[in-house]
Amino acid sequence: MYDKIKSYILLSPSILMGIIFSIPALVIIFSLFLPYSENWTHLNDTVLNEYISNSWKLLVGVSIGVFIIGVSTAWLTSTCNFFGKNFFIWALVLPFAIPPYIMAYSFTGLFDSYGTANELMRLIFNIDNGEPFFPSVRNISGAILIFSFTLYPYVFLISRTAFLNQSRDIFDISRTLGLSKSKTFLKVALPLARPAIIAGIMLVAMETLSDFGAVEHFAVPTFTSGIFRTWFGMNDIITAKQLAAFLFLLFLIFIIIEKYSRRKLQYNTISTSNRKLVPVQLYGVKQIGAFIICFIPVLIGFFIPFIQLLYWAVAYKLSYFDSSFYDSAFNTIYLSLIAVFICIVTSLIINFLIRVNKNNFLSMINKVISSGYGIPGIVLALGVLEFFSFLDSSFNILLTGTILGLVFAYSVKFYALPNSNIQSGFNKISSSLDDMSHTLGHTKFSLLTKIHLPLLRTSFLTAILVFLIEVIKELPATLILRPFNFNTLSVSAYLYASDERMIEAAAPSIAIVMVSLIPIVLLLKIISRDNNE
Amino acid sequence: MNNLVVKSVSHSYLDNKILDNLSLELIDGEITCLIGESGTGKTTLLRIIAGLEKQTSGELILGNEVISNDLLFKDANKRNIGLVLQERALFPHLKVIENISFGLDGTKKEKIKRSKELMETFKILQHENSYPHEISSGEQQRVALARALAPSPKVLLMDEPFSALDRALKFSLRMDTRKILKSENITVLMVSHDYNDALVVADKLAIMSDGKIAQIGPPKEVVLNPINKEIKKQFVCETGDMLYWKSILEEESQ
Repeated sequence: MYDKIKSYILLSPSILMGIIFSIPALVIIFSLFLPYSENWTHLNDTVLNEYISNSWKLLVGVSIGVFIIGVSTAWLTSTCNFFGKNFFIWALVLPFAIPPYIMAYSFTGLFDSYGTANELMRLIFNIDNGEPFFPSVRNISGAILIFSFTLYPYVFLISRTAFLNQSRDIFDISRTLGLSKSKTFLKVALPLARPAIIAGIMLVAMETLSDFGAVEHFAVPTFTSGIFRTWFGMNDIITAKQLAAFLFLLFLIFIIIEKYSRRKLQYNTISTSNRKLVPVQLYGVKQIGAFIICFIPVLIGFFIPFIQLLYWAVAYKLSYFDSSFYDSAFNTIYLSLIAVFICIVTSLIINFLIRVNKNNFLSMINKVISSGYGIPGIVLALGVLEFFSFLDSSFNILLTGTILGLVFAYSVKFYALPNSNIQSGFNKISSSLDDMSHTLGHTKFSLLTKIHLPLLRTSFLTAILVFLIEVIKELPATLILRPFNFNTLSVSAYLYASDERMIEAAAPSIAIVMVSLIPIVLLLKIISRDNNE
Repeated sequence: MNNLVVKSVSHSYLDNKILDNLSLELIDGEITCLIGESGTGKTTLLRIIAGLEKQTSGELILGNEVISNDLLFKDANKRNIGLVLQERALFPHLKVIENISFGLDGTKKEKIKRSKELMETFKILQHENSYPHEISSGEQQRVALARALAPSPKVLLMDEPFSALDRALKFSLRMDTRKILKSENITVLMVSHDYNDALVVADKLAIMSDGKIAQIGPPKEVVLNPINKEIKKQFVCETGDMLYWKSILEEESQ
């Protein structure tokens, strides 16, 4: 009886967290059952089809794009040796530092009629008719290009790990059964990595559909920009929430596919032996080909936008770095640290209780909390606003428009990141250590503090790094929930770019890239150590 | 004729000499068991014969055809040499029947027919639609054997095929395997560290030491007449099987 009461007392904070974290999503889902206004009918008759069709085109185009770029580079860097491979292993992840909206700003600066690239071509070919040399990027094809080159690292990283974990024996057997190297790739390596690739593409799909900055800048109306327009243009928050609810339902489908793929991945990576693939040395044309295939994504996804932004920031001696930069960077980082601390503590307690109590109910709650990652920023912001307004009016307090909204939104949205790191950290700790600690007279609390916490250090560090990378880039939720006159790096960049002040937008943009690079480089070191490279 | 001749093959990794001027002949339809301590180059020899690695020097002749020498190298997928590994290396994303038909050419109907024949021979027909992780390790080993035999290879190479199995399973699978290999009249080179494998399954036993074949002959003959102390020591040191070998040796000497 005493044990039962004790376990309920231990469980209750976790259940409470589960409920609180689910509220924004529930608020949005609930809006589906509210009456549909005339605006909904108007949207349905006019632009809804365009939103759906553009979002769909974007989704298909970007999925194909990231598949081609991510899988080819992952395969080359995991199974072949060629000039520059060690550089590409980490350089191919650099586009993670450039959010799609920043790349969109940079590309419009380059390829607009009087952009740097067009001016340069006119100068080279001595043409003075003002005609653009390059096609405009402010359309859906441009958006597909931008998303593909900034988001492919999701597919690259996850498929590369899958390729590295494939056993050499399986490839040898396939070869002795008469299959050439290319057929072995198509019939063995690719199908084996398929769950990983699908999981990666699903993450990209979610990022693409939840983007606001890039599609808005390119004037491509999608579901997300539609939600903004309905809310701010038509001043109709209920219809905006209903649109958001449909977007969220779509995301739930992606989450289910992603989870299912990961579950299948378990079977495919049950390694039949510890013998890893031995990379093949490429020579001549093959070596040059591999180099080019890996260089193009890094060039387009990182170096071109980075150099363009850096050039603007340096050439125009932007005053941003003198004053606003420190405030915005400080705001971004301290908000991230508060939110990641909340997430790490919550995840640690929940995962520890799941481990020692083997509690399925708690495990389910943890999954519910983690699903916040699938809520698009804009949907989440709407849910948080509604929830905070309710708290404000019920308890006569003021939460709306404070940094609490941002901390809460970041925690809900990115809880899954530290949680997955802590979960895999716990999985790596043998359960016999728990038994030993128990038989040596230690309490559960002592097991957590003396055994688990020291062994989870790398997981905590990784959790903080991935969290930082995501929060630094987050735009839609930050834009809506930030307190008055409170700027983060992403908001500063957006505000300049939305006024078409591209050169001024360069400074905060380059700051986002630079600040993101620090955790990315640290993270790459950890990943590389885990892969024993 | 599917004789395989390994002629003066040497192989090194950096400065480490793994095979040293090794010669060996596998006779058509015969099962040869290659035994030696860890690190003597058994698996490397298998990989070179399969075409997964190229020897530093020497020649391989399959039937009347040179498949590898200093000037020529026939790729693994063109040699028609089957391979079975200790770890089985089944394709986890394919069902049992798909694993077995993986290396087959021809129409779908023909592939299914050949696969089902082998599944029946190996007593795994009931697992036709199972995935590898859904069947036992003994059944997985049967699938691996059936898969390697499906394209009717000229030579079958087996690397420690029974070592991951428990004793009872090992015993029954060894008997079945010999029966099937003999009925298919296939040339086999099996690498093992267990002398019982050689005695039960093989027609010939080859002892490998320092990258060379130290002794070769019918299994009992090799066991009873080791040509040097090193080989003799290996039989006696077979942990757990010492009494077994001793009784055989005593029985034969009386």
